[in-house]
Amino acid sequence: MRMVLFQRETSGFPNKLVPVLTTLLFVLVSVVPLHIPGFAVVTPAFALMAVYHWTIYRPDLLPPATVFAAGLLLDLLNGTPYVGTSSLSLLLARSVLMGQRRFFINRLFPVLWAGFLGTTAAVVAFEWALVGILHGALLGVRPFVFEAALTVASFPVGSYFLARAQRAFLMRV
Amino acid sequence: MMFIVLGKADVLLFDRLRVLIADTAAPLLQAVAQPVATIASGVRHIEGMFDLYRENERLREENARLLQWQDLARRLQTENAELRDLTKYTPEGAPRYISAQVIANSGGAFARNVLVSAGARDGVTRGQAAVTGEGLVGRVAEVGNRAARILLLTDLNSHIPVMLDGSRERAVMAGDNSDQPRLLYLPVNVTAKVGERIVTAGSGGIFPPGVPVGVVASVDGGIVRIEPYAELSRLEYVRVVDFGLEGVLPQNAMPLPKPARSARVVDPDAAR
Repeated sequence: MRMVLFQRETSGFPNKLVPVLTTLLFVLVSVVPLHIPGFAVVTPAFALMAVYHWTIYRPDLLPPATVFAAGLLLDLLNGTPYVGTSSLSLLLARSVLMGQRRFFINRLFPVLWAGFLGTTAAVVAFEWALVGILHGALLGVRPFVFEAALTVASFPVGSYFLARAQRAFLMRV
Repeated sequence: MMFIVLGKADVLLFDRLRVLIADTAAPLLQAVAQPVATIASGVRHIEGMFDLYRENERLREENARLLQWQDLARRLQTENAELRDLTKYTPEGAPRYISAQVIANSGGAFARNVLVSAGARDGVTRGQAAVTGEGLVGRVAEVGNRAARILLLTDLNSHIPVMLDGSRERAVMAGDNSDQPRLLYLPVNVTAKVGERIVTAGSGGIFPPGVPVGVVASVDGGIVRIEPYAELSRLEYVRVVDFGLEGVLPQNAMPLPKPARSARVVDPDAAR
């Protein structure tokens, strides 16, 4: 019921912003301290979930420029000394997924999840190597493996939210 | 890729950009962080109700122990005051504490820092120490108007001069993104023992000496790891400590050697 006002608009201008807005929301969520006991300093890479989801279902509504901006915002919020690493890795993920997206459309969730597992592994390994080179030292693997595992494990939650948003706002646009 | 190269080349621009973004996002992040923290504390409250009895016993025991310490501290305080009187010692100015809520933590695998809800308008400046009740958390790395970024002890770029509390031997504690930072440059003839207390050394002019940092967690083939006292993964509030050590960190550089201590202003508030 709450979406009625937006759905009547068939040109779909505000609705078309949903992929970009949810991606920005996911970037913000990934830096909010969750205070979950036992939950380490590392949090899931929510931004990657959003980029994965929208690249498969609506790449037209999440163009490279917005992926770049999301990555940049993430790096600036994270306060990393290597601004742009997230932009680069998210853009690479997008460009690789663009070639594979037809395979994932209308597949069962486990297939989608497996695809996300592969994407996350590749992206995190890439970031590990890139930051290692920029830092000039071999970095410990553990935090990266932990981040990847956490990201893959929380994918169902993120994916559910994104799918709901897609169904609510983008059915007719 | 261009941005990475640019980021390495024009560090100042990106520093400013980071501060600007942090400052802009601070109210939004604070609005989100508040309810999350409330829910978390509610959950902990309910958890706590289940073992009230055990907790009570533990606290009773601890209280008895602490009362003994209090007694000892009082006696030492008196003794200290008398000795200071004898030596005409000028005390350092009392530190000023600035409380701040943690509104964001970097979630990535290669950065360990938090954003807090206090900035230049609250008196936070670059290089100040951030502590919790347990011990040192890190140092202020960037300051915006209403938000500041604190580089945690565990960050790859964190290097803090510390000393072994027992032997007063100096070393540098360097983060490597794991939960336990390493001890570097410990003199070869010194062996750290597991369980030994680590406090800040105060050299380098970043922190005053004696702030508790953590304990030696493991000594493994020359690699000494430290378990920080502060629980860095669950920070909710931190206190930024203004010790009145002025002009600490120049932009993007190692701290310069400080001039003689006598040149320092005694009361930080009067100087401001």
